[in-house]
Amino acid sequence: MIVKTLVVSNKLGIHARPAGMIVDVTGQAKSDVSIVYEGSKANAKSILNVMMLAIPAGSEVKFEIDGEDEENVASQLESLFNDHFNEEPC
Amino acid sequence: MTTSTKNPANNEALSVRTVLTGVPASPGFAMGRVFPVINREISVVEETLPESRLADEEQLFLKAVNMTSKEIAQIKEISETRAGMKDSLIFATHLMILQDPGLLNGVLDQIRKHHKNARWAVHVVLGAYIDKFESIDSAAMRDKAADLRDLYNRLMAAMEDSGPVLEDVAAEDGVILVGHELLPSLLMSIKPGQVTGLAMDTGGRTSHVAILARSLQIPLVSGLRNFAAMAKAGEIILLDGSRGTVIINPNEEDIRDFHERQEVFEKQRRELFTMRQLEPMTRDGKYITLHANIELPSEADRVTDFGATGIGLYRSEFLFLRKNAPTQDEQQDAYRYILETMSPCPVMIRTLDAGGDKLVSGINAVNESNPFMGWRSIRVCLDKTDLFCAQLKALLLANTKGNLRILLPMISGMSELRRAKEHIRKCRQELEAAGHKLAPVKIGVMIEVPAAVMIVDKLAKEVDFFSIGTNDLIQFTLAVDRTNELITNMFQPHHPAVLSMIYQTVRAAHREGIPVAVCGEMSADPMSVLLLVGLGVDELSMTPWSVMSTKKIIRSINFEDVRETALTVLQMDDAESVNAYLHKKYAQPIMDLGISSVVGQVENSKK
Repeated sequence: MIVKTLVVSNKLGIHARPAGMIVDVTGQAKSDVSIVYEGSKANAKSILNVMMLAIPAGSEVKFEIDGEDEENVASQLESLFNDHFNEEPC
Repeated sequence: MTTSTKNPANNEALSVRTVLTGVPASPGFAMGRVFPVINREISVVEETLPESRLADEEQLFLKAVNMTSKEIAQIKEISETRAGMKDSLIFATHLMILQDPGLLNGVLDQIRKHHKNARWAVHVVLGAYIDKFESIDSAAMRDKAADLRDLYNRLMAAMEDSGPVLEDVAAEDGVILVGHELLPSLLMSIKPGQVTGLAMDTGGRTSHVAILARSLQIPLVSGLRNFAAMAKAGEIILLDGSRGTVIINPNEEDIRDFHERQEVFEKQRRELFTMRQLEPMTRDGKYITLHANIELPSEADRVTDFGATGIGLYRSEFLFLRKNAPTQDEQQDAYRYILETMSPCPVMIRTLDAGGDKLVSGINAVNESNPFMGWRSIRVCLDKTDLFCAQLKALLLANTKGNLRILLPMISGMSELRRAKEHIRKCRQELEAAGHKLAPVKIGVMIEVPAAVMIVDKLAKEVDFFSIGTNDLIQFTLAVDRTNELITNMFQPHHPAVLSMIYQTVRAAHREGIPVAVCGEMSADPMSVLLLVGLGVDELSMTPWSVMSTKKIIRSINFEDVRETALTVLQMDDAESVNAYLHKKYAQPIMDLGISSVVGQVENSKK
C-alpha cells in the first residue's frame, strides 16, 4: 500500500470539477483508493464522497492506495495536484 | 392564492371547480390535460419486500439509472444546440454521479440487505446525500444539492410503474406540464406542439424558467403554491398566463369565457404582428429605437420577427452559469452567432456581470454579506484580467461585421472606465499584432450606480453611448434591496429621485451627442414607456415579446405631450402622486389600444 500526502493548491479547493478529475483517475484504477482529510476517510472512487469533504485550498489530503497499479495511481494523482487541477493556483 | 368553489352541486367532492391565482409569468392561454412532472414533494412509500421480489427491484433501479443516463446525455445534446454552446460540464457531473459506487451500492444494499423497495432505497440513500450537501457551509456545494435533487426527481420518474415520460407525449397532444418546480432543462427538451402550457408552485416573473417560457411562447403561471399536489394526471384544466389563473374542472361558463379571452389574445397578438413593419414613431414624428434583450444566443434568430431593430442587451453571464468558464473559442462562437445573425443591426453585449443575484460558480466563491454592493461585475473583471481579456478578445474577433457595441456594467468612476477601455485597447493591439483584421467597435457604459449619474458629464465625454440599467439604479438610488420581500412596495420605478437620475443622464448624453438606452423591466411597462420617452430616452430594450406592444404605445402618443407630462411629474413629491397623475391621464387610452392581454392589466401593473 502507498500512502500519498498531497496539498490542495488551486484557489477554489476541491469542488465539483477537481473531484471529477480525481474520480476519473481512481474510478479506472484496479487498486482500492481512499481519501483522508481531517480525520474523515472516504472512498476516493465516489465523486459524491470526495465532493462532500469540501476540502478548501491549502489543505493537506492523504490518499491510501492499495493494489497492483498503486504506483501509477499515486503518480497520476500527484500530477493532478501539482497542476492545480488546471485551475488558478492559490 | 384564492380559491372559490361555485358549483359543488353536480360533482363528487374530488372534482369541484377550483380557481387558483398565481403569477402571470408568460402570456397566453392553454386548455389541456395535466401532465404531472415528478418532483420532490411526491411521497415515497416504504415497503418491506419478500426475498422473491428483490431481484425485480434491483432491475427496476438499474434500469432507471440506465434510462436517466440516456435522458441526461440527450438533454445535454439538445441544450447544446438550443443554447448554442458546446459541452456542459453540469451534465458530465450528473453522469458521473449516476455511476458513483457509494450511491449505487448504497441503494442496492438497501434493497438486498434491508429488503426495501427501489424507490424507498433511492429516497433514503440519495436523500441523505442531499441533506449532507445542503448542510455544507459553501454556496457551491449547496448548488450541488440542487443538482442532486434534479437527479433524484429523474430517477423517481424513471421508476414510476407506468410513469409518464415527456418523450412519450405525441406532438399533437398538447399537454400542460404541472410541477412543484419546473427546471430549465425540462423546458429545453420540449418538442414543438408537445406542451401548450406550464404551471408551477414556485417562482415569479423574473425566474430563468419564466424568461425561457416567454421566449418559447408557452404560457406559464407560476407561484401557485400547492397546485402540483392537487392536480391529477389527465385532468382538464384551463390556464391563463396573461392573468395568472388556473381553473380545475371548469364549468361551461368558464370555457366560454376562456375561449373569448383566448380569441381576444390571439386577435391582439395577430394585430401586434402587423406592427412589425411599422416604424416606432410618435404621432408627431419622434423616432424611438426598439431593441430586444436576449439570454441565449439562439434567441437572436427570432428577434427581428418581433420588430426589434437590434439587440439592446445580451447578458453574457448566461454563458458563464456553468461549472466551468467557457473558453475564449466557445465565447467567440456564441458572440459571432449573435452578431452575424443580427448584422447589420447593432448588438450590445454586456461584459461579464457576475455577482449580486447571479453567482457564477468558480468566480464568485466567497459568501458576501452584501453581494449587490460587493465584488461583482466590472470589479471582478478588472481583478481577474485573464478572464476579462479572454472575453474581450472573443468579442473583438467575433465582430466580423462591425455591429458590436461593448457595454461595461456597474461603472462607478472614471478610472474604472479608463482601465476597462485600456484593456480593450491592449487586447485589440495584441490581436492586430498577431495579424487579425478587426472591425471598429463602439464602447458604452451602464448607468446603474448613482455615482455614475453624479459624474455623468465626464462619462459622456469618453464613451459612445449610455445604457441605463433601471433595476440596479432604482435599487441603489432608493436603497431598496429588490430581493427583500419586506420592502417590495418601496421599489418604485416612478420615484421622482429615479426619474431625475434618468433625466440628468439624458441631458448630459445629448450635450455630447451620444444616445441613451434603457434596458430593464421598466422599458416594457406601458406607463414607464411614456415617461422614458418623455424624459428623452432614445432607445428602449426589452424582452423580444414586448417590442410590438411597446411600438403600438409609441405610435399612439405625441412626444410633446409626454415630454410635458415627464417634466410635470419630475416636480412631484413622491411615486404615489406620479402614478396617480399617470393613471388619470393615460390608463384609459392605453386600455383602448387593445394590448391588455399581452402586457397584463394596466391597473395591475401600477400597484
